[in-house]
Amino acid sequence: MLPIIVLFSFVCLLLLSAALFLFILIRRLVIVKREKKDRRLYEAMEEDLLEVLTAPDPRRAAFAFALKHGDRPRVLTHLLVSYRETLAGQALEPLKVIFEGTIRWKCLRELKSPWLAIRLQNVRLFVDFSRPEEAVHLVKLLHDKPVVRLAALNALTGIASRETLTYIFELFEGDPEPNLYVYSNIFFSLGQRTEPFIRASLRKPLPPEKLSLFVEMAGRLFLRGLYPDVVRFARHEDKELRIRTARALGRMLVPASVKVLTALAADPSWEVQAQAVRSLGSLQNWKTLPVLAKALFSPHWHVRYNAGYGLAAFGLVGVLQLQEISRQKEDRYAADMAAMVLDTVIITGGA
Amino acid sequence: MTDLLRFLDTAVGNLILVYFLLINTFYFLFNVLSLAGILRYRRMVTYVRFGEIFRMPIVKPVSVIVPTYNEELGVIESVRSLLSLRYPVFEVIVVNDGSTDATLAKLIEAFDLRPSKSVFRRSLQTKPIRGIYRSTVQPKLIVVDKVNGKKADAMNAGLNVSRYPLFCAVDGDSVLEKDALLKVVRPFLEDPVRTIGAGGIIRLSNGCDVREGQVARIGIPKNWIVRFQILEYLRAFLGGRLGMSMLRSTLIISGAFGIFRKDVAMACGGYRAASITEDLDLCLRMQKHMHEQNKPYRIHFIPDPICWTEAPESLRVLARQRSRWHRGLIETLVRFRRMFLNPRYGIAGMFAMPFYAVFEMAGPFIEVLGYGLFASHIIFGQVDYPFAVTFFFVAVFYGTFVSLLAILLEELSEHRYPRPRDILTLTAAGVLENLFYRQYLAVVRVGGFLEYLRGKNEWGSMEKRGFAKAGQLP
Repeated sequence: MLPIIVLFSFVCLLLLSAALFLFILIRRLVIVKREKKDRRLYEAMEEDLLEVLTAPDPRRAAFAFALKHGDRPRVLTHLLVSYRETLAGQALEPLKVIFEGTIRWKCLRELKSPWLAIRLQNVRLFVDFSRPEEAVHLVKLLHDKPVVRLAALNALTGIASRETLTYIFELFEGDPEPNLYVYSNIFFSLGQRTEPFIRASLRKPLPPEKLSLFVEMAGRLFLRGLYPDVVRFARHEDKELRIRTARALGRMLVPASVKVLTALAADPSWEVQAQAVRSLGSLQNWKTLPVLAKALFSPHWHVRYNAGYGLAAFGLVGVLQLQEISRQKEDRYAADMAAMVLDTVIITGGA
Repeated sequence: MTDLLRFLDTAVGNLILVYFLLINTFYFLFNVLSLAGILRYRRMVTYVRFGEIFRMPIVKPVSVIVPTYNEELGVIESVRSLLSLRYPVFEVIVVNDGSTDATLAKLIEAFDLRPSKSVFRRSLQTKPIRGIYRSTVQPKLIVVDKVNGKKADAMNAGLNVSRYPLFCAVDGDSVLEKDALLKVVRPFLEDPVRTIGAGGIIRLSNGCDVREGQVARIGIPKNWIVRFQILEYLRAFLGGRLGMSMLRSTLIISGAFGIFRKDVAMACGGYRAASITEDLDLCLRMQKHMHEQNKPYRIHFIPDPICWTEAPESLRVLARQRSRWHRGLIETLVRFRRMFLNPRYGIAGMFAMPFYAVFEMAGPFIEVLGYGLFASHIIFGQVDYPFAVTFFFVAVFYGTFVSLLAILLEELSEHRYPRPRDILTLTAAGVLENLFYRQYLAVVRVGGFLEYLRGKNEWGSMEKRGFAKAGQLP
């Protein structure tokens, strides 16, 4: 009986394995066949698309293309997406015409799909080929799940009219759980046109983390016109906001901020001190050299680190100061830090 | 007395059947969830241009930390692979953990390293650092030379020297695919507050051609021990871990390739130097910390970024590795016993930990008991045929079916083995592993438990062949 069971077992296992192997093989054959067919179609479409792009009237040629190939949305989408990567500016116009004549209706329908992945997929497709006046479809998605919302927001940055900027700022201000990282990138890519909006937001009673982001943006985007709005946060009770203020002031390079930064270099929080000394280095005001040299003797590693690089930013004068500190024997930590900064500056050729 | 023995025999037999039925059903469900996860992931990343991160003005920089110990054969390829990763801002910190071979000398020669006067903040206690080196040809590379103190200690030294808010732990014998970092960082960009860790799939490089730090040709080696392990890795990563991730109960991110938020890891005190499964230990500590701080968190498992690593090619080395893994698992579960079935620790405490305790920690005992019982029945001529047939279907047939599903998942996800011969080999491995390999590993793991009871806490040396020679066993 036992040999029969063993034999039976192995037959069962072999049958199972053979079934799986056959399934994989058949599936592969089907996929290969479909891929071949798609490739042929793709090549034919690509040839026609190149003719559209070089035609004397690309718009008319694009209409004809859409009529001819509109019934093959899957391959057409791949073609449009891959050409979207290589074309820019006016050359995109025929692609948009083709999109409108073929896939747009399906894309709009699927923007309302109950499946998150499908909505997301279509937002990304819509972003590539939609026109500024169609922003309304994206605005509807601003209250969707975070990942779709952010994709829609990203899309809106490409259609930066005054109206869409208002949407973006309103959404950020009202967002209960903002993804600060993504918003930073969005605001940054919108550039200096955000200045009036950031000014207005900085004057509102927003939570510190949102104000911090606006302060950060003011610095990163070099919005010196916002200096009076930013500098008042130097005395804010929130530590993070003071850190951001110190950083923004170091980027804005307004000479008047030396006084504020010197005061921040003596802040009770070492994180604020560290940022303030780094910013003082960026401002390169000779009067602040003693402040930076003193900060190199701070008990806090980050303050020493930033003071070292702050001094290095002064060029030769800072390097000489660092050499002097590296030779003194009273504070080994300050000496080591100065030596490391000198070493790095020399390796990278920064001096 | 005979009746009592018969009763015990039946009870143990039923216990074994229930165990196999449950474990295989769980893995079957994980496979189904994995399939859903793979399809969802594929849709989520359709039309995503991973390279767009290069155009982003503000990116999250990453410190890649590579602890190495006697890795002279593979370390150069591995570091080259890491330096050629596609990512806007990152640094590679190689920690030479007191190697006794030529690891450091090879690194110095290959990357023209020079001693640096770097000063770092010693936030975590580690064994003394002998020197920090910087490369004149690769500005992203930092090499830390320290006194030997095990992998966790080396990781802590790397953490001390690292500058960036995310760190990626990579083994010294691993090769990452070029886009691996771009893909694994994505959850940190999409959900930066809650995401504390993410990991990708680990695959075996034995049998593959590795050139210029990248896997140039994927293949399956002739060595059956490695073939069984390839299938095991597919089952564990594509089936088990992805499935558990779908249930939000990821308990471990592999130490061979995982990315974490540095602030959370530092708040937990970094890696525990004495741990021999430092990846599981850190992952659990981070989860415990987040629960105790009442902060929502996520640990993601992504089915796409792939890390290739070398597997043991002999039974002796394999046994050493698995025994260590098992000792580490028991040690970690015992250490975090407070989380066990504790609702305060969410799904990690209520599901993931009991699952690991019952099926991973205690499982080998039940398996060995089952095989022993079956053997004793044959020896004493008392084979219970209905039991034997049921055992076969529940343990072997169902188990093989789950293994074969992992091959199917690989086919539906990455499709990395294009030759039908390779699929046939893996399918054969799925059947043949039932003949000796599974039983051998079960016995090894029981041995690991006994070693744990004896207080053994050693890594044991791992013999590496290096990428060029991997899979070319005579």
